[in-house]
Amino acid sequence: MIKNQKQQWLIYGGLIAASIMVLYPFFFMIMNSFKTGSEIMHAPNAMPEEWSLRGYIEVFKAIDLFRIFGNTIFVASAITFLNCLLSSMVAFAIVKTSMPGREFWLKMILSSMMIPGILFTIPVYMMMYDWGWINTFRALIIPGSISAYNIFLLVQFMKQIDNAYLEAARIDGAGEFRIFFKIVLPMLRPALATVGILTFMNAWNDFMGPLLYIRDDSMLTLQLALFKFQTNVPGGNLEQLWAMTTMIAVPVVFVFFFMQKNFIKAFTGVGVK
Amino acid sequence: MKFKEHWVAYLFLSPWVLFFLVFLIYPFFLSFQNSFLDINVLNPENTRFVGLGNWITVVSDGKFWLSLFNVLFNQVIFITLSFVVALLAALMLNEIEFMASLFRTILFVPVITSITVAMIIFDFLVSPVGPIQENLLGIGMLDAPVFWKFEQWLPMPMIALFSAWKWFGVQMIIFLGGIASINKSLYEAADLDGASWWRKVTKITLPMIKPQIVFVLTINIINGLQMFVEVFMNFDLQGGPYSSALTPVLHLYQTGFEQMKMGEASTIGLLLAVIIFVLTTLQMKITTKGD
Repeated sequence: MIKNQKQQWLIYGGLIAASIMVLYPFFFMIMNSFKTGSEIMHAPNAMPEEWSLRGYIEVFKAIDLFRIFGNTIFVASAITFLNCLLSSMVAFAIVKTSMPGREFWLKMILSSMMIPGILFTIPVYMMMYDWGWINTFRALIIPGSISAYNIFLLVQFMKQIDNAYLEAARIDGAGEFRIFFKIVLPMLRPALATVGILTFMNAWNDFMGPLLYIRDDSMLTLQLALFKFQTNVPGGNLEQLWAMTTMIAVPVVFVFFFMQKNFIKAFTGVGVK
Repeated sequence: MKFKEHWVAYLFLSPWVLFFLVFLIYPFFLSFQNSFLDINVLNPENTRFVGLGNWITVVSDGKFWLSLFNVLFNQVIFITLSFVVALLAALMLNEIEFMASLFRTILFVPVITSITVAMIIFDFLVSPVGPIQENLLGIGMLDAPVFWKFEQWLPMPMIALFSAWKWFGVQMIIFLGGIASINKSLYEAADLDGASWWRKVTKITLPMIKPQIVFVLTINIINGLQMFVEVFMNFDLQGGPYSSALTPVLHLYQTGFEQMKMGEASTIGLLLAVIIFVLTTLQMKITTKGD
């Protein structure tokens, strides 16, 4: 709306300042990962005196980082796959079939998003304990395999698919299974990318789940491993801590820059009635 | 015949129904039942019915109310700060075309960073030996290093500052979506009347993105009252100096997993859920009044 050149410069100035404030902490993270422990402590503002890779090397010696990455990738992938499949099945039943009570189910799913998760911490922990699920990946994957928010997003996307395709297929004698897997799922691919990325990110960044359910060091996921690493030897492993922090943060930011459209899509459109 | 016709639809819906029954309804009743029992996980055979005992303990325990106060103190600062920053950023992004998507992407980066990573960085930046304090000491704006983790009134504002940095991007994107859907002719009409930028923002933009504002406030209340990782990483289970960083979820975690009092912890969870429900309903009533 503002066409005035001077005001445009002011806005760019503001945005550049905001970007610097947002990126400033990441800059320090990367600088610290190349410093030695004593430099991190005693010269917080300085650039690395000599770029040292010791932190990176030492952290692989100190913990089984490959395994921890593997665990996290496994859990996050399983959750993402199940969410894409199950949530779109539910959305299909609600949007694209003539099943009775569709409005009711959708309302129920939407209102379940209003229940605070804190309510379930203790009872679900007790359930897991009774079932012997503590210290298994099941405890992380199964409760996270479907989400009301993902169903809601997929319902919005699925509404945009023209019913004519489905009718044509039904006339040709295709069953609902075929229609779902052969027509709807492929057409839903951009939406599934959005839902998938959001789910994967949340699973990747999850802290509370592993904190409650994972006991063995061999089953740690990244976030919990990082936390344990931070608290185990305070101050004693600074260079390793920063190398690990960088290794966990940078890939995520990198992926985000390539796929930012999908991230943004997951947040726009919500809250609009 | 109806059922036969729709069996695939029912089959497709069944994952949700199962999830709903197993992970929402059943735990809800379990939680309700637990709140009347005295359970210690280590010796479950000693479980006994205590009636309203847990409820009385929790309500009369000053710690619960203190934790609620702490988190509300935190939220007032966080919501104000992040709302202003997010709105300003959205308004600025809406005014430009060149490199708008790059700036939008950069400003969203903290959101995708995990709390664990972000907290470690933040902790370093603001620590007494970190770069910010060193700079402030250097230019004489600070006389002595501030150990904010040992002060009574600093933990919550500091964490609010952290959360505002971390989460304003989500609100910014939601506001941007709202602003994009406003009919442009409204602004053109205002331009003809010679309305100032500020007047257009307050009279057109803000009222038109009210649904987004309500949504953002609701999400903030629901999430904010459940704050855990931020305080858990920085302060022990007691919640720091004078319990000034104790949040309800930290209190619940401490009661359930350190003291092993699952019944009392369930009660805390239920009570907090009720409080969140009341606050969100109240807030939605107030903000949607007159619609």
